[in-house]
Amino acid sequence: MATVAQESKFSKAFWPILAWVIALIFFFPIFWMIFTSFKTDADAVKPEFLFTFTPTLENYLNMTENYDYWRFAINSVITSSFATIFALVVGVPAAYAMAFNPSRHTKDILLWMLSTKMLPAAAVLYPMTFLTKNFLDIYDTHFLIILVLCLINLPIVIWMLFTYFKEIPKEIIEAGKMDGVSTWGEIKDILIPLAWGGVASTALLCFIFCWNEAYWTVRLTTTEAATLSKLIEGNRAPEGLFFGRLSAVSTAAVGPIIVLGWFCQKQLVRGLTFGAVK
Amino acid sequence: MSKRTLPRLLQTPAVLLLLMWMLIPLGMTLYFSFIRYVLNSLRRPEWTTPSLSNWRGLGNYEYVLFNAKDFWFAVQNSVFIVVSILIATVILGLALAMLVNRSFPGRGIVRVLLISPFFVMPAVNAVLWINMILDPVLGLNGLAVEGINAVVKSLHNFPVLGSFFSMWPEIVPVSFRATQTSAYAVIMMVTWQWTPFAILIFMTSLQSEDEQQKEAAILDGASAWSRFRNLTIPHLARPIAIVVMIQSIFHLSLYAEIEIVSRGNGNKNLPYLIGEFTSNNIGAASATGIFAVILANIVALFLLRMVGKSLMD
Repeated sequence: MATVAQESKFSKAFWPILAWVIALIFFFPIFWMIFTSFKTDADAVKPEFLFTFTPTLENYLNMTENYDYWRFAINSVITSSFATIFALVVGVPAAYAMAFNPSRHTKDILLWMLSTKMLPAAAVLYPMTFLTKNFLDIYDTHFLIILVLCLINLPIVIWMLFTYFKEIPKEIIEAGKMDGVSTWGEIKDILIPLAWGGVASTALLCFIFCWNEAYWTVRLTTTEAATLSKLIEGNRAPEGLFFGRLSAVSTAAVGPIIVLGWFCQKQLVRGLTFGAVK
Repeated sequence: MSKRTLPRLLQTPAVLLLLMWMLIPLGMTLYFSFIRYVLNSLRRPEWTTPSLSNWRGLGNYEYVLFNAKDFWFAVQNSVFIVVSILIATVILGLALAMLVNRSFPGRGIVRVLLISPFFVMPAVNAVLWINMILDPVLGLNGLAVEGINAVVKSLHNFPVLGSFFSMWPEIVPVSFRATQTSAYAVIMMVTWQWTPFAILIFMTSLQSEDEQQKEAAILDGASAWSRFRNLTIPHLARPIAIVVMIQSIFHLSLYAEIEIVSRGNGNKNLPYLIGEFTSNNIGAASATGIFAVILANIVALFLLRMVGKSLMD
């Protein structure tokens, strides 16, 4: 750090304390949700039990009865995982081709892909419902949700992979070509091992976005393929009497993702700014 | 197979998939926006199936612009919500990024705590805020106001000062379920969720700031404020623009939060209005959708240009 900067004792103590206080305020709603999930529904709305109460696991144990939590959670896991896998299967070859064999149009293609992400979902709500319900008959199926989640995240996946692949020296890939390695071999044996960190964090981020998606998963499902977003959205009513159980199911829905998110906070910048901020 | 064919072949699936995803639904929206198309009509049953014989030209657009009572309100509200969130997240994000950019004990934990809200799914975010935090009776909002009133009341019997406190009115908690206040609730919860995003981006680019230049400025006796204004802000101009544009695109299509916080109370933005139209008047929904696309594209154009510049280096 700067050696010339001479800080007073006051500012040395003040700024870190301020940072801690603000960080705790930011985390407070999440803390409060977790905290409330250990109260019974009755205790959760009584001011006298605001901070002192007998913790209970009842809300978590009854999650299946109250909300059928696991069915929605399994749907979320299935749709998010497969969407991520498909996005990588389609995205890795595309990003490979763009990074190592760019043509005149590569830049335009990449920008166009990004522009599909900027289409407001609501604008195509009815056509999507119409097509999937009346025409293709895939409304409310896992297949549909996987497909949609894959498509809305594909631009981000390709972009992220592209920025990672571009950092790999072209010569290494070229050397493989000299040795007569096939394209598939190049991707599998040279590219993926070299860019493993990048591919993994792309997958992680894609999974998180799929998990948290709340427009198509709500509008294109009813029961069969409904995810956790749909479950929570369906219980949005002012459920004053059920704060405890609502907190428990919410905690179970976001907890794993928050922890996953901590691991890829650095990659988030790349994924969300399309490499424009370094 | 020529040297060029294979790379092209490899990107074909991605291009085709995205092309279909974009063109088919958008083409249908465009088509529906030019015809009369409703889901239920006893009087005109022929309007319930999409067909070219129900051609309405620009009629749906005209209806949406001049006759639909909520369109302009929805546009105005969309813009109000987006701009408020942008101002709040950029200012908070800048301040907090500067704060966390120095090293201090527990910095890693502070960062993790600050980032966490970003990973909360929108539905949980909305349910959590509107019920457990902002509810005027059962939420922390109600409890806090009740607490303040109780404290003030207990001070009434205080000698001398008591008469001063008894002049205080009893505070009533704000309900966030009315039309206007629920927009504030949405702004609050989205700001909470997206400030981490701004912090992350500003932090990333603060780390690439030229330290030597800063030290030179300190040696020259530049004040902290003028260093911030003349060195840091120009350095952050680009990240700020990116944060503004990316957030605009995301928040223009804000839906889950509006749906959960203000169902039926009149607080709506464009996506929500489209959802309402979709329950019957598909023609109007499609025309509104095209307007939403235009609005998003105005922002997207600038963003793409900026991203495109940094693409190949």
